[in-house]
Amino acid sequence: MNSKQKFIIIVALILLAAVLFWWLASGGEILSKDGIWLEQEISELDKALGLEPQKIYQEKFILGLLPHTTVISGIIVVVSAILFFIFKSKKTKEKK
Amino acid sequence: MKKIIKTLILLLVAVSMSFAQGFKVKATGEQTFNFEDKRNQVKFFSTTPLEDITGISNDVKGKVTLNVADIKSMKGSITISVASIKTAIDLRDEHLRSDNWLDADNYPEITFVLKKVGDIKTLEDSRIETKITGDFTVHGVTKETIADVTLTYLDASEQTKQYAPGDLLGVQAKFNIALSEFDIENMVVGQKVADEIEITATLRGSNAK
Repeated sequence: MNSKQKFIIIVALILLAAVLFWWLASGGEILSKDGIWLEQEISELDKALGLEPQKIYQEKFILGLLPHTTVISGIIVVVSAILFFIFKSKKTKEKK
Repeated sequence: MKKIIKTLILLLVAVSMSFAQGFKVKATGEQTFNFEDKRNQVKFFSTTPLEDITGISNDVKGKVTLNVADIKSMKGSITISVASIKTAIDLRDEHLRSDNWLDADNYPEITFVLKKVGDIKTLEDSRIETKITGDFTVHGVTKETIADVTLTYLDASEQTKQYAPGDLLGVQAKFNIALSEFDIENMVVGQKVADEIEITATLRGSNAK
């Protein structure tokens, strides 16, 4: 492993740690959602009663981690892996 | 002398009657409304830079008594069960019920007991807007709270029968509370839940016996 490869690994680890910290800090996304709230269409009678639209609960599983952090972590890992092998190849070529 | 006293009493009654504000509907006298409709809803809303959280309960029970001609005479209370509050994340609901938060085992209910009706603004014959002062109890702590309320009285009709027999009373109420005032503080998730919570109640009551 050359110095550039070590640098890539360190930068990748720092970025992953930052993403992990962000994930932990934005607590809502730690947990997967088991349902969503949908705004209900207001009926004529509710309008006549002066009521505002209500929300109804609908079961729908939403993986909390996936939207934000998995994608970013995945990009960091893929880019780091590509750069790691690019620099490995260059070093091999230089040796030859 | 007696005539003067009688005149004064009549005058006082007339003056007080002129200040009494009520609904202009078919119903008269004192009416008691039960709030048992499963569609009744109380919503809790917290917003922080990190997350917006909505908690909703549809387990609402209550009773309100009012004189149709004098809304200021209104008395009653609304109760919801802590166990019924849903936030769309089951694990968070468990945390909410735990002794770190609302402590549902020891304080299973959240209650608003109506104490005083403020100045009344008539929006329509059957609809008024007012501020209602009441004792709000959560987590075993009671604080006086003022809610912005819109009340709508609907006489029984073919339309109202869709919901329930009898006359209907629609209640749309909104007020804010500070969790810290009710001894609800949790440092672990403090940054995800705002101290100030907006509470909205959307209620339908029926006076059918």
